Amino acid sequence: MSTTVKQALVLAFGGLGLALVILRLARRRLLTTRYAFGWLGVGVLVMLAAAAMPFVGKLGKVANITPTAVLLMISSAVLLAISIQLSISVSLLQERLRSTAEAHALLARKVEELEQRQANP
Amino acid sequence: MKVLVVVPAYREEDCIADVVASILARGYACVVVDDAGGDRTAERAIAAGATVIRLPINLGVGGALRTGWRYAISHGYTVAVQVDGDGQHPVGHIGELIAAMQERDLDMVVGSRFADGGSHDGVSLVRRLCMRLLSAILRRSAHVELSDPTSGFRAIRLPLLEQFAEEFPHHFLGDTYEAELVAGRRGYRLGEIAIPMRSRQGGKPSADIFASARSMVRALVVLITGPSFDIRPRTSEGHR
Repeated sequence: MSTTVKQALVLAFGGLGLALVILRLARRRLLTTRYAFGWLGVGVLVMLAAAAMPFVGKLGKVANITPTAVLLMISSAVLLAISIQLSISVSLLQERLRSTAEAHALLARKVEELEQRQANP
Repeated sequence: MKVLVVVPAYREEDCIADVVASILARGYACVVVDDAGGDRTAERAIAAGATVIRLPINLGVGGALRTGWRYAISHGYTVAVQVDGDGQHPVGHIGELIAAMQERDLDMVVGSRFADGGSHDGVSLVRRLCMRLLSAILRRSAHVELSDPTSGFRAIRLPLLEQFAEEFPHHFLGDTYEAELVAGRRGYRLGEIAIPMRSRQGGKPSADIFASARSMVRALVVLITGPSFDIRPRTSEGHR
């Protein structure tokens, strides 16, 4: 069995494994639909990459690097993109959480003021 | 002019009561924003007579301050004075901050340790150099003359106060240096008065040599990427 075929098999099973794990996490409601879909997409992409292995080999030849290096580069780029996207999401959530916490504190104070006014009209 | 003193407090149970008492003794309304430190800061501030807003989670000084600014706006205050909860700021000088604001028509007045007459005692060389660099950046890029840009003893009036109630940074150095940079660039009038700062009366110092290094990095990042927030420019009619 050639290296390319072995790599294609690893990718195909890896993608399938990822998709199964994601489905399980989604069913246990540990992942929201949005992220479950995103990661399922990644799983499908990995499986498609398995089918595209001959193309990766050609790309490696053109760039004069091994197919393994091409795969590593592509996977690193995908992981980096996902990390940046997650950082954007976390930043947004942080800002929303902050606004909510501030609004919560101000509302709690308003309730206290109203209760005091009611007790001593 | 209706003045509210806003005290952001994080684990200041040792000295908050004294700070609140000395603010109230001078006739100012006082709101303490307890930044979820998990100690008895809120209880002691209430016992001392302050209005207390309790944040449900720790947001840092910027978050506590924006909450204070919002409270000030919703209760009809026209000037908010920030005083730290650690007893470091000379509450007796609040009147001078407000007087300077009126006499010099300023939107924000900062109490400075380094302005004329201010003492450099107890401030490390690294921290002083750090302040000078931040001051130089403010002068060059916002035409603002402030010798103590990270001072948290200051008065802010409408309409700048309203702008800060909408948008106010919560990361390190954002609530001081970056807020001044943005306000200066947006045409608000900033000035300072000399203030003798006392050493901390209790609690844990948040600024140290690492903070100086961090502030330098942060200031450079702001210069490269631009400020993390923006406000509406000052209109020609100025304050209301």
